[in-house]
Amino acid sequence: MSDGIVLRNGLVFDPANGINGEKMDLCISDGRIVEKEGAGAKSIDLKGRIVLPGGVDLHSHIVGSKMSLARAISPDYHRLDPVPRTKSTRSGVGYTVPSSYVIGYRYSSMGYTTVIEPAMQALKALACWEELSNLSNLNTGLMPMFGNSMLTFHYVRDDDLNGLAGYLAWVLRAVGGFGVKAVNPGGTYAWAHRRNIRTLDMEVPDWEITPREITRMLCKAVELLGLPHTLHLHPNNLGCVGNIETTLVQLEALRDIRGHAGRKQIVHLPHMSFESLGMVDNGSPVWNDVQSGGCQLAEYYNKNEHFTVDLGQITMGPAMTMTADGPFQFSLYKMTRGKWASSTVDVELPGGGGIVPYEYRPSSPANSVQWAIALEFALSIDDLWRCAISTDSPNGGPFSKYPLVISWLMSKKQREAWIRRLHPLVLERSIISELDREWDLYEVAITTRAAPARILGFSMKGHLGIGADADIAILDSKTEDTDLSKKPNRIIRLFERTYQTYLGGQKVAQKGKVLTTPYGHVSTIHPVLDESDWNRMEKELEPLMNSWYSHSFCNYSVPERYRLPFERKSILDATAISL
Amino acid sequence: MICCIYPREGFSISSKKTVKNVPCVFCGCLCDDIALEVENNRIVKNINGCSLSKSKFLNHLEDRLLGPAVRINGILVEVSLEKAVAHAAEALTSARRPLIYGLSSTENDTHQEAYYLAELLGGVVDNTSSVCHGTSMIGSQESGDPLGSLAEVRHRADLVVYWGSNPQFAHPRHISRYIRQPGEYMQNPKKDRKIWVFDVRSTATSRIADEFFQIEPGTDLEVISVIRALVRGHEMDIDRVGGLAIEDLAKISEAMKSVRYGVFFYGLGLTQSKGQHRNVDAAIRLIQDLNSFTKWVMIPMRGHFNVAGANETSTWQTGYPFAVDYSRGYPRYQPGEYSAVDLIRRRETDVLLNVAADPVAHFPRDALEHLKRIPIINLDPKRNVTSLIAEVNIPTAIAGIECDGAAVRMDGLPLYLRKIVEPPEGIIPDRDVLKLIIARLRMVTKR
Ligand code: SF4
Ligand SMILES: [Zn+2]
Repeated sequence: MSDGIVLRNGLVFDPANGINGEKMDLCISDGRIVEKEGAGAKSIDLKGRIVLPGGVDLHSHIVGSKMSLARAISPDYHRLDPVPRTKSTRSGVGYTVPSSYVIGYRYSSMGYTTVIEPAMQALKALACWEELSNLSNLNTGLMPMFGNSMLTFHYVRDDDLNGLAGYLAWVLRAVGGFGVKAVNPGGTYAWAHRRNIRTLDMEVPDWEITPREITRMLCKAVELLGLPHTLHLHPNNLGCVGNIETTLVQLEALRDIRGHAGRKQIVHLPHMSFESLGMVDNGSPVWNDVQSGGCQLAEYYNKNEHFTVDLGQITMGPAMTMTADGPFQFSLYKMTRGKWASSTVDVELPGGGGIVPYEYRPSSPANSVQWAIALEFALSIDDLWRCAISTDSPNGGPFSKYPLVISWLMSKKQREAWIRRLHPLVLERSIISELDREWDLYEVAITTRAAPARILGFSMKGHLGIGADADIAILDSKTEDTDLSKKPNRIIRLFERTYQTYLGGQKVAQKGKVLTTPYGHVSTIHPVLDESDWNRMEKELEPLMNSWYSHSFCNYSVPERYRLPFERKSILDATAISL
Repeated sequence: MICCIYPREGFSISSKKTVKNVPCVFCGCLCDDIALEVENNRIVKNINGCSLSKSKFLNHLEDRLLGPAVRINGILVEVSLEKAVAHAAEALTSARRPLIYGLSSTENDTHQEAYYLAELLGGVVDNTSSVCHGTSMIGSQESGDPLGSLAEVRHRADLVVYWGSNPQFAHPRHISRYIRQPGEYMQNPKKDRKIWVFDVRSTATSRIADEFFQIEPGTDLEVISVIRALVRGHEMDIDRVGGLAIEDLAKISEAMKSVRYGVFFYGLGLTQSKGQHRNVDAAIRLIQDLNSFTKWVMIPMRGHFNVAGANETSTWQTGYPFAVDYSRGYPRYQPGEYSAVDLIRRRETDVLLNVAADPVAHFPRDALEHLKRIPIINLDPKRNVTSLIAEVNIPTAIAGIECDGAAVRMDGLPLYLRKIVEPPEGIIPDRDVLKLIIARLRMVTKR
């Protein structure tokens, strides 16, 4: 047992425990927050610096084949941001799609301690686990995708909810998954026929099922299993002007589904800015007619509690778009005429996702309106506990832009300064300039820590209560750092580099320098089914997989060897459900 | 049913067993349906494998390097592993511009050690793709990469193009496993799935194809560019290109636009012939254009079983797929400058660490001249041409036969490789040899 650390005189913001800027001491022992300091604990005087739980990012692309493909086609980007080796850290590259080690270092020096990869190809999970062994300083989790898998469709077509739940459970165990993701359900499958599915009731080719049926059944299966995180849904018709209507219809289509054990939320809507594109009255779905749908979504959000959201804020400058939404990516490529990479995945993503480097330009009318969407939403909603900050990194811009995003949310002055640089259409097509609200530190702590942890179902993260993981971010603030809204550059500086970052009780970064590079854990959910149900799944899946995939069923699972060093397995008792 | 053994540390090797669903560690198809019969720690039968696979697995004990050896006064002398490692570390630390090369016939963990070592040394690390599909990477860095996957090809493709590739010779089961097999939406592939071959000469593959288009050597770029122009609806004011009549090319482009699902497999005949990455770039742009009409994907016919893995591990660690230079303390990438053959040709390399390749057998003559003059540290299971002139030979276990690991199939699918038998006594995986070298290096230099 280690003697631990006491962080004295911190100004603590811990929304999950209702602590809003109180001077406090925090005791750490064995990687956890504890009640009393151990004898011989090392004492550190924080001199009133701001203390937050470690940052939790619930939607950021950090590993997997799409990252590799995006990196592989971008030497021009890497060259702009070389990262030299130091005594404690490995070298690499940064910019929009950093190399694996650099991702961990950059998050760590910003005070983030947990980041979830929201779009894993289950079939390629082995490569993700390998990659995680080259990504230190973070706790992570991997969300496999199910929205276009022929196996999902098989159970949906048979209207076999229990079979679908069994399939999800089997895959989560086999690949070490954390949650269930669906991207453009049915639409990316249709892309194998070079088509898309933009509305909820259009049939998926080959299958005679619709996105509505797929989405509802996936949602129900997640609730049936009782996974800690709800269905993570990238809806249909993404990136299309006017798609706020489709998004609302899709959310409405799930509203009646009952949450597991009485929980109110049953779906997470990631990167809302991409699916809240409004259209001017009597307009047509072209970029000239775009308007912000942020308020419209906020209005629905304020009235309906069944979903959670992350922002997917557009930052201006270079980005790398990467989604499992093949048709959307192709249409973006047709606009940019630059590079377009994509890759189909056997059985699970027949149409293939896509990757298109993209630069958001302040001079672009469409990009300027897009910029306002998430801000308009965030500044119009009542309940911040269902909302998390993200840029859908690297889609809206790399995660290293979070400090800038926070400055927009905290400072009207900052927004005004940016609006002056943007295309004037933003004033016409959004109400962003009329919004006076400014988030305070407590609200930032909710949306970057407490809320995302709660949305993910983590009880030990996103807060600083007794028993929580000692993942902590200390900002290098001074007592005169009040009235931050008037000092946007100061906000950026505070969130860019922490004074200190702790991961599992270990000091890992200080003033922007990574000191040590321990590995965090990878959270996985291990559903345990009744034995006969498990046997049913194995019996069904083996012949199906052997006939559909191009490799053997028994080579699907990620071997323990790759998982053991990092895996933090949560056993989920699902024996009560009967398949 | 348990249909395979999940290896764990120290799993027992009984005297007689059959191991099923083993990935074949020979070519980029990485067929994982191989069944091996093992008797007394020897593989005696390979079921399902092609002739290449059979010879790799059944002859794995032949031509082995027996033990670590160091050249003393011109003669290779057997030494302890420790001595060989110390000698290797010494040579590498005293080098001004060390090069680590190979990596595509071993598994991913080894790559990670190799990059770490290169970083510590401030050296260069390159994999064998710089002499095969590196040009494909450069093409994709220009334009992107509309990549397909093999089961989807089997389920859906009604037109299969092999360009500059002869799978019947180099990937013997490619056609029988993925192309001639029925798929979910392609019940009668013999009748409904067409195979076209574009090549400069008749090959074993062109002879079984539905159509063979023989083009003149060195004209791939012109032919692809003309097809692309025709696909885009441009008129051509020439009669022939690359030996093919414009009318025929017009028919080809029309057919490519009107299939349901096309796949473009390409090999060294495209990537290493005149035009190189420009050929691949043109092919990528053609496939991208075709996607405005119908579904098309492409897949490079990767040769060594894990060359795709070498590109991927390099990319996630350094940002770049091959030809990475660490001399400034961070990764830099410049094929033609940091690629192995070019460095050696310019006589920049002063020590070569070869891992699981045979550069002396495959590099051009002027590079060879220089290789003969510099110390080579050679990590490979087998005797090969490189081992003959190496200064240090350290024999290693064969990945996927004598040690486990991961590899990546030509379409990006990662697969777990098995340890089937114990390596010969005293022989350890190359990743472990690299770790020893790194440990020694850190001890000596305190890096
Ligand atoms: S085709 Fe290639 S991978 Fe398949 S068995 Fe033959 S050599 Fe091995
Ligand atoms: Zn995303």
